[in-house]
Amino acid sequence: MSASPSHFQQKMQNPLKSLGIRKKIGDFLNNTKFLNRSLSWYVTGWRVGVFWGLIALFLPQLLNFSTNFLDQTYFAPNILLLDAILCGIYVMLALGLNIVVGYAGLLDLGYVAFFVIGSYTVAFATSGIIRNIHSQVVNIPALTFWEAIPLAALIAGFMGVLLGAPTLRLRGDYLAIVTLGFGEIVPIVIKDVPFFYGALGFQVPPAPVVNTPFGQVDFGNPLDFSAFYYLTLAVIILIVMFNILLRNSSIGRAWIAIREDELAASASGVNLVRIKLMAFGLGAAIGGIGGVFNGVMTSSISYDQFSFQVSISVLIMIVLGGIGSIPGVIVGAILLRFIDVYVISTISNMLQTNTALANPSNPFHFLVSFNLNTTKFLIFGLVLLLMIILRPQGIIPNKRRQLELKGVGLAPEELSVIGEIEREEEGSSAPPESVEGLGDI
Amino acid sequence: MFVLASTTSGIFIQTMVNGITLGAVYALVALGYTIVYGIVELINFAHGDVFMWSTAITLVVLNSMHVSTAVYGFALIGLLLLMIVIGAVVSGTLNVAIERLAYRPLRKAPRLAPLIAAIGVSFILENIAELWLGASGISYPDFFPNGGIVLGDVTIQYIDLVVVVLTVVLMYGLNVLVKSTKMGKAMRATAQDPEAAALMGVDINQTISFAFLVGGVLAGVAGVFYSLVIPVYAYNVGFELGLIAFTAAVLGGIGNITGAMAGGFLIGIIKALATNYLPNGSDLSDAVVFAILVLVLALRPSGLLGQQVPDKV
Repeated sequence: MSASPSHFQQKMQNPLKSLGIRKKIGDFLNNTKFLNRSLSWYVTGWRVGVFWGLIALFLPQLLNFSTNFLDQTYFAPNILLLDAILCGIYVMLALGLNIVVGYAGLLDLGYVAFFVIGSYTVAFATSGIIRNIHSQVVNIPALTFWEAIPLAALIAGFMGVLLGAPTLRLRGDYLAIVTLGFGEIVPIVIKDVPFFYGALGFQVPPAPVVNTPFGQVDFGNPLDFSAFYYLTLAVIILIVMFNILLRNSSIGRAWIAIREDELAASASGVNLVRIKLMAFGLGAAIGGIGGVFNGVMTSSISYDQFSFQVSISVLIMIVLGGIGSIPGVIVGAILLRFIDVYVISTISNMLQTNTALANPSNPFHFLVSFNLNTTKFLIFGLVLLLMIILRPQGIIPNKRRQLELKGVGLAPEELSVIGEIEREEEGSSAPPESVEGLGDI
Repeated sequence: MFVLASTTSGIFIQTMVNGITLGAVYALVALGYTIVYGIVELINFAHGDVFMWSTAITLVVLNSMHVSTAVYGFALIGLLLLMIVIGAVVSGTLNVAIERLAYRPLRKAPRLAPLIAAIGVSFILENIAELWLGASGISYPDFFPNGGIVLGDVTIQYIDLVVVVLTVVLMYGLNVLVKSTKMGKAMRATAQDPEAAALMGVDINQTISFAFLVGGVLAGVAGVFYSLVIPVYAYNVGFELGLIAFTAAVLGGIGNITGAMAGGFLIGIIKALATNYLPNGSDLSDAVVFAILVLVLALRPSGLLGQQVPDKV
């Protein structure tokens, strides 16, 4: 197919470079010294991770502390913590989908299906209530919340394998459409098959109280979500560790191989179907775990919470943050949730309460009726489109993926650089002193 | 789209007639998927929304002309032609613009990148329409005269006849275009091997743009037909209908023009039957269509009429 990137694209790609803003920020950070180090040292590499990790670790305390000087009607710590937990659930989903899309290079547009499966599994398992085919309530032995988590992961993973087994032989774009169909079917089935309570919705019991040597911990306390917050955080950390282990294992290398060249990987002895099923199943299992947390947290679930939009939101998080990059997808998830929950509704409120705009003679009066919440997917669509055209590698790129997505062939010396960079992600090698890379942000 | 008949066989035949009419719309949209896929190997995810934009424009134009009662004779023909031309121009232009702005920059990127871009475009188109005309359904002015040919207890509405006949005419025209014109030859050459075609002097960019134009025009006409048959506008109709039409294209063998036509009619009939005979049919018929999609892709990915083509390496 023909040829070089268009003139339009070249112009669009470097708006910052041409203005020299990148270089100015880079120079400033490199030349300003603080405690014998340049500022760039503080804002690159593992130190950024440590900083945000500490914030995540002490978030409940920070929020409580903030009540000393912030207005509680806007900054109610418990509500903010709830937002953080919901954000954490999306981080889980993004990490799970990243296995499928980022590592194995398979596009799954129906990821919401596993989210639904996880949510409904915890609902049935912990309440001990199902309905039979005649819509009569049947009691089954109830499980605890802790038993429901692995159960949901198992069931979702099994469903992932079940969906993948007949379809993973397909080419990538066909697979995307099939998974999309699956994501559409699952909510329809839940709505129309009486077994699932359908349109009525389902009450999920709250997370349990646990007696520990240090006293009672109430994970389901609606007045103080901090225990549940730490649980979410712990699960996210486990998932991240799992992801890192997977990526560095022979399975992870096989995923990279099939992603880069399926035919060559298959010729080198990679069992394509088995390795793809692995990605599908593991990604689905993590989606199921996310579903469990969602079910418990939102406490009332119904089919209409699980739409195509959820699948695409998670995909946008990954594309925004950086396909295949663990810190990237975490940042992407948090950023998109932040835009979704805070930025869009704030702007919308500002437009609707602005007195100058309320005057009908104001030429921008039409903005008053502009409800951004209903059109946030317009913004999300723009984000997705612009990212994939202008910066396909995302905010925090995975270096190997970046070279692929930018369409650069891998020269031998570049490959050795990749090895170093991937080790550096682990935080084991010396941090770079220059901030050239940061300018990319 | 009513089932007026009373006897069992009458209901069945009436359902088939309704299915064929909707099938014509699916076939026109499916052709757009198949032509584009045949040439650039991209599932144009935004195609359903290009179709939806035609229904939106139809609504706006009809409302601005203050047509509220049925019109007859030449006025009817003129109005119908006007709608078709407007729908075709809008959707055709839109599709070409999308290709130019969103897909062309990604032509050398990995396969999934343009698909993701297409999803983004689909979201954008859908939400702009929602912003413009709102999220609730809007009825079309009823300008097409009611009535039809009565055969026993089955009524074939005039509207069904017009839609099916015009669809068949369009398909014939498309066949001529692809088989007997220079541009059609260029399209077939590009589909087979873009680089070789370029070496033979085919302007690849122009050919791809033309393919998107043809697909968009067909989707535009389909949008007008759809708004005649199902006279309620909804901003999100494109998503569902796009998937159904894509299933039709896959069923017939994607890249295969005859296949897309046959697949469209077949899916229309299957969906109408499922809607009528399954409990909760209007919801479950979508699930049936997806199940067909999964089964066809799993068992016979080349579709009913497509050939088994090995992947290009």
